[in-house]
Amino acid sequence: MNYSPLIPELIVVLVGLIVVFFGLFLPLRVKKGLGCISALALIASIVYILKSGVLSTSERAGVYFYEAYAIDSLSQFFKLVFLAVSLIIVIASIKRYEDNKYQDEYYGLLLFATFGMMIVASSNDLVTLFIGFELASMSTYILAGFDKTNPKSLEAAMKYYIIGSVSSAIMLFGLSLLYGVTGTTNIEGISAYIAANGIADAPGIAILVFLIAGFAFKMALVPFHMWAPDTYEGAPTMISAMLAAGSKKMGFVAAFKVFIVALIALRLDLQSVFFILAIITMTYGNVVAISQKSIKRMLAYSSVAQAGYIAMAFVIMTPLAVGAGMLYILSHAFMKSGAFIAVGAVTHMLWTKNKNVENADYLKNFAGLAQRAPYTALAMLIFVFALAGIPPTAGFVSKFFLFSSAIQAGYISLVVIAILNSALSLYYYARLVKYMYVLPPAGETLKEPRAYLLAMLIAIIAIFAIGIYPAPFLDWAMNAAATIGM
Amino acid sequence: MSLPLISLMIVIPLLGAIIAFISKTRNQARYAAIIASIIPLLITVKMYFQLDPSKMWVVESYDWIPLAGIKYAVGVDGISMPLILLANIVIPLTILFAFGETKQTSKFYGLLLLEQVGVIGVFSSLDFFMFYIFWEVTLIPMYFLISIWGGPRKDYAAIKFFIYTHVASLVMLLAIFSLYFTALAKTGIPNFDMAYLIGMYSGFDPAIKDIIFFALLFGFLVKMPAVPFHTWLPDAHVEAPTAGSVVLAALLLKMGGYGLFRVMLPMLPHTTNTSMVITVVAIIAVVSIVYGAFLALAQKDLKKMVAYSSISHMGYVTLGFVSLVPLSVTGAMYQQFSHGLITCILFMSCGIIQHGAHTRIINDLGGLVQKMPKLTFLMLGGFLASLGLPGMSGFIAEFTILAGAITTLYVYVLIAVFGGIAVTAAYHLWAIQKAMFGVFNEKLGDVHDMARYEMISMAILLLLVIYFGINPDSVWNVMEAGANIVLAGANI
Repeated sequence: MNYSPLIPELIVVLVGLIVVFFGLFLPLRVKKGLGCISALALIASIVYILKSGVLSTSERAGVYFYEAYAIDSLSQFFKLVFLAVSLIIVIASIKRYEDNKYQDEYYGLLLFATFGMMIVASSNDLVTLFIGFELASMSTYILAGFDKTNPKSLEAAMKYYIIGSVSSAIMLFGLSLLYGVTGTTNIEGISAYIAANGIADAPGIAILVFLIAGFAFKMALVPFHMWAPDTYEGAPTMISAMLAAGSKKMGFVAAFKVFIVALIALRLDLQSVFFILAIITMTYGNVVAISQKSIKRMLAYSSVAQAGYIAMAFVIMTPLAVGAGMLYILSHAFMKSGAFIAVGAVTHMLWTKNKNVENADYLKNFAGLAQRAPYTALAMLIFVFALAGIPPTAGFVSKFFLFSSAIQAGYISLVVIAILNSALSLYYYARLVKYMYVLPPAGETLKEPRAYLLAMLIAIIAIFAIGIYPAPFLDWAMNAAATIGM
Repeated sequence: MSLPLISLMIVIPLLGAIIAFISKTRNQARYAAIIASIIPLLITVKMYFQLDPSKMWVVESYDWIPLAGIKYAVGVDGISMPLILLANIVIPLTILFAFGETKQTSKFYGLLLLEQVGVIGVFSSLDFFMFYIFWEVTLIPMYFLISIWGGPRKDYAAIKFFIYTHVASLVMLLAIFSLYFTALAKTGIPNFDMAYLIGMYSGFDPAIKDIIFFALLFGFLVKMPAVPFHTWLPDAHVEAPTAGSVVLAALLLKMGGYGLFRVMLPMLPHTTNTSMVITVVAIIAVVSIVYGAFLALAQKDLKKMVAYSSISHMGYVTLGFVSLVPLSVTGAMYQQFSHGLITCILFMSCGIIQHGAHTRIINDLGGLVQKMPKLTFLMLGGFLASLGLPGMSGFIAEFTILAGAITTLYVYVLIAVFGGIAVTAAYHLWAIQKAMFGVFNEKLGDVHDMARYEMISMAILLLLVIYFGINPDSVWNVMEAGANIVLAGANI
């Protein structure tokens, strides 16, 4: 059997272990190197996935471990998302945590979280899926509280942990019901069983309710989003980026696998539930985002709203919609992680000037940023315009295909609401731009840290690459959609 | 192999914008801007003399997103060529006019060049996807022009402009999706080509035809703007800096009119109830003409008056479009071109008065001719052109629109003539009489005349207005060929 498609996972987990192990012995001044090694490992994995060619075919490249683990273009597409997000975050963190003596644990946990997400992306079995889910969750629970001296960070971690564990339990209950009904944990086996025998209403609906609650927690769909704004605001900004851009997508890939592959028989119920969830989520996220003072919180609500757009894929369920949803996920990963990194850069610059700045991520601190920190401001401008869906960025292309798929399938009301939301979101994004470019500076010029700039540059390149030449990315996304039977 | 002339026209201002953005000094920025904006003009002039307006010309077409049938495709014909000429005349002259800008100059000139990129892109796109991208791209520089260099209420005006026109664009986008997917369902071949999709429209299911038509029409009418979708315009214009107002009125509004000729005109005969659509659009047109003129008459602020006069003049474009007679359709295209030139003079005059006298309130001005003789001369020329004095380009346009439209829409033409033209003359003459002539208001203090670059810019515009008033053929023939093709293609 050819195990080479598993190399990216192996690289990530081995380097994670190496980082943690050597972190025990290395003195602080060289620990920065561990971050660089982590970044290199992530780059190597990305390059391997891109070169393997799995992305450009809808055939399955391999199934491993008694059909529990599958490599196909869906899994590799999502791994690309997770790895890219982690890479951006690791690069920015090298500067953020250069003086922190626990940074080895930080990089180790980041890599383990990424590994967990990769397992979810590849899992072909409910148990594997749950293990990956928990590995990623556990690692991010700790990371959310990584700024141990900051009470807000601890609160964020606690909230995230408690709500996260409860929803894991709910999800697990749903999975066990599914096993109880179908007698198998294999996702395709479940699909085949239901196709052959059908599923009774009572267990079917119970399963759906539990699983939607469990996954929607990770996807941060309203009304399961309560943890998200508090956690994103309180957690270290890098980790907020990880949660919003990476871990949230894990919820989506799990949902794609379980809902679209295993439970396709319940399609009609799914569509009507997600129709409501998507509309509530995008509207609530955008409306609440308008009144936020903290940019991190604003981005959190905007991320909730964006999850609402992506959830449209579960309503429409055509090949184009699912493909466009995937493309949106890829674009959103770059836009959102970039935006959080930009906020991180601003808070970092303010903190290096004055350790006691409170509420460094508040809107007022962004006044005149274009003059204080021109590159960060320009990057932020690109990220928010991409999030608002202005061409020629990735955000526009993703919205273009997602909304067009809704028109194709005849969901006019859904797309009209989405478009009105999209216009509404322009208000708070443009307000941030106004603060950065129009208002007079709130202080003197800041020195922009290079690691952050590099991280943002990667995100910007990706955003424009997808925005200007979307053909290959759309191809990958459509292949990924094809592997789950779309 | 011939040069990709249109792509060059898009790329050169883009490069110029980047150079302007990174330039360190004001001189670098403004000379880069003027050079980068004049090169497209030279290219346009070169193309103009070789143009065969009866077909799509210098077409460049490359696959962009093959999966969805999206192409990078540009080309020009009789409808778009004069507007590209207009854009490439207006932008260099605007940059020249704004040569004295001192605030954040590198960004200012860069944004003006980005407007040029967007506008040329809109006028030359042959693919709906591209068309929409450029359509949206024009919004962002204008948002910044208003919100950084604007007047006291710039925040409100900028965001209102941005969101209002963005929503209209999104509605248009939905209609484009419907066009695309209905055609896709019919043929199974994905294709975003504009001419192809417009051609497919006639075979659509009647249930969806009207929705598509009105959604597109809404997108274009908001941009024009036509009453009742005009409320963003006065705010945006009044608060925008002079250069921003000029680009907005002379070019961005023309995108709406261009959409009417390029997209709506071939579809109009195939709507389910064509006479009803014509009635609706004609009413909108006449209301815009008359109501816009009355609103202009009621304004105290000179710039706001000019802004409302734009609504009134763009109403003629809608009227000419909907009359479906070759003479008035060509006249409507000519009105776009002519109004693009004339409105520049008007807004530039407002800018100079604001700068020199520190107010634009008509009643506070007076007797400025004593202090600003040069401005008064040029401004008078612009105002006379705007009110339709024979011998100027505005007269040709409005005369032909009305002369053509009277055969099909005579009731509306009568209303426009009696309700609009007299009022139009009235507000122009009153405004200039009160502001520029009479007794000088000593409270205004020391008032300077215009700078030389401002004078050169306005004088060139005025000469063009007179030239195209006396000798309209050079542009008219091109437009007429374009109009005939569209009308013949639509079986009218």
